[in-house]
Amino acid sequence: MANRPIKFRILELFSDEQSHWNYEIVQKIQKEYNQMGDFQRDSINFDIIELASGGMLKDTETKVDEEGIYKKGFLLHKYVITDFGKVRASNVCFVYV
Amino acid sequence: MDLQALKKLEHQRRVRYGYMWALFCAILWGLWYLPGTVVWVLNPFDEMYAEIAAGSGDSIALLVTAVLITAFNALTVIIALMVWNGVLGKFGEMKRTLVEFKPCSKWFFLASIFGGPMAILGSFIAMGFVGAAFAAVAALMYPVVGSILASQWYGEKISKRAATGIFLIIVGGFVIFGGGLLTELGSGNVQWIGYIGGLMAAIGWGIEGAIAGKGLDIAEPDVGLTLRFLGENIIWWVIAVPLLAIAGFPMIKYALMAFEPLTIMVLVFAGITFGFCYVTWYKSFPLIGVGRGQGIGNLYGLFAVLFVILFFGDVPSWTLLLGGAFCLAGSFTMFSEDTSSLESLRGD
Repeated sequence: MANRPIKFRILELFSDEQSHWNYEIVQKIQKEYNQMGDFQRDSINFDIIELASGGMLKDTETKVDEEGIYKKGFLLHKYVITDFGKVRASNVCFVYV
Repeated sequence: MDLQALKKLEHQRRVRYGYMWALFCAILWGLWYLPGTVVWVLNPFDEMYAEIAAGSGDSIALLVTAVLITAFNALTVIIALMVWNGVLGKFGEMKRTLVEFKPCSKWFFLASIFGGPMAILGSFIAMGFVGAAFAAVAALMYPVVGSILASQWYGEKISKRAATGIFLIIVGGFVIFGGGLLTELGSGNVQWIGYIGGLMAAIGWGIEGAIAGKGLDIAEPDVGLTLRFLGENIIWWVIAVPLLAIAGFPMIKYALMAFEPLTIMVLVFAGITFGFCYVTWYKSFPLIGVGRGQGIGNLYGLFAVLFVILFFGDVPSWTLLLGGAFCLAGSFTMFSEDTSSLESLRGD
């Protein structure tokens, strides 16, 4: 799995059109790409932020991270892929129906 | 703190990071003018210029020397970027992105064509055939090209306020370089090729930004940028320099002579400032958009003049103060924009 650029893989994970929490995706990518450090964790989260800022993901729900699932006191976001995100995902050759 | 307040805070932080990156870009770009200017009078480039000028004339000498300098610039930039990516541990991601040529890395190679031979060489042509002030002013127009392309091509949102800010910064640039520009244009017999060079710079960098924005949708900025410079190195070292050598210019001879301590130091300084100016430029695009990133990046004109004054001791003229005021007004117009509409940079 871990042989495509991380942003491709993130879009692919969202291609099921379900909402996912950012920390779920981050943890998944960290495991797949074997990038367990805090810096890499933030860097992957930043990729998600960039995808959202580029209009490929949009957030559907936010909550404050009370328990420190990801980073205590910060916001957790739940994202879903947008139509534009689907277009870009299909551009990068996923089988997208 | 409640959810709404935190949300707003997080959003503001993102936009602030974007502007901060773009501002660093402007500062580093301005700094780059120091080694970028000094390198022309250093060995072996001054000898090279003299030798070619004796045989083929000043204009050709300028262009050919510019190619070699730009090639070395690209080389030191990529070394700086490799170190950067190494520290960040991004070689793996680089390899993964590189092999995705069709969907992704082709954008960065395309960007390198527009940013390298077109924009940088265009700048040098404008500098050589019209003058440095004209080259600087012409390049200032690139955010106009970049933001129009980004909005027409992939619907990036450019608010009236951002457009006003970009416009004010460009006016500021015109005023800063205005005196020199009038002198250069008034000196008569300006060759039209100089204007083409200016146009190449504005269009080249504008297109580069828009194309890079497209590739950055689905790639990491640090990685994308390194690929863009990989492309530029190929263009210079595999295509341009050998072609000129075959055409009979003493490229190889002077390239080998560049390994002098002082020259290398200046080139490394150029590589670091140019490299990181680009790093910050590319990092700002996904956060605040191509239009805003380029607009703030345009403050390089102001910083370049400031650094030249600080380091070379030139006396600032009143045009700098007036132009600088325009630049600040333009930046402030953009910084102070209510960014809640920037939740996404793209239109729905």
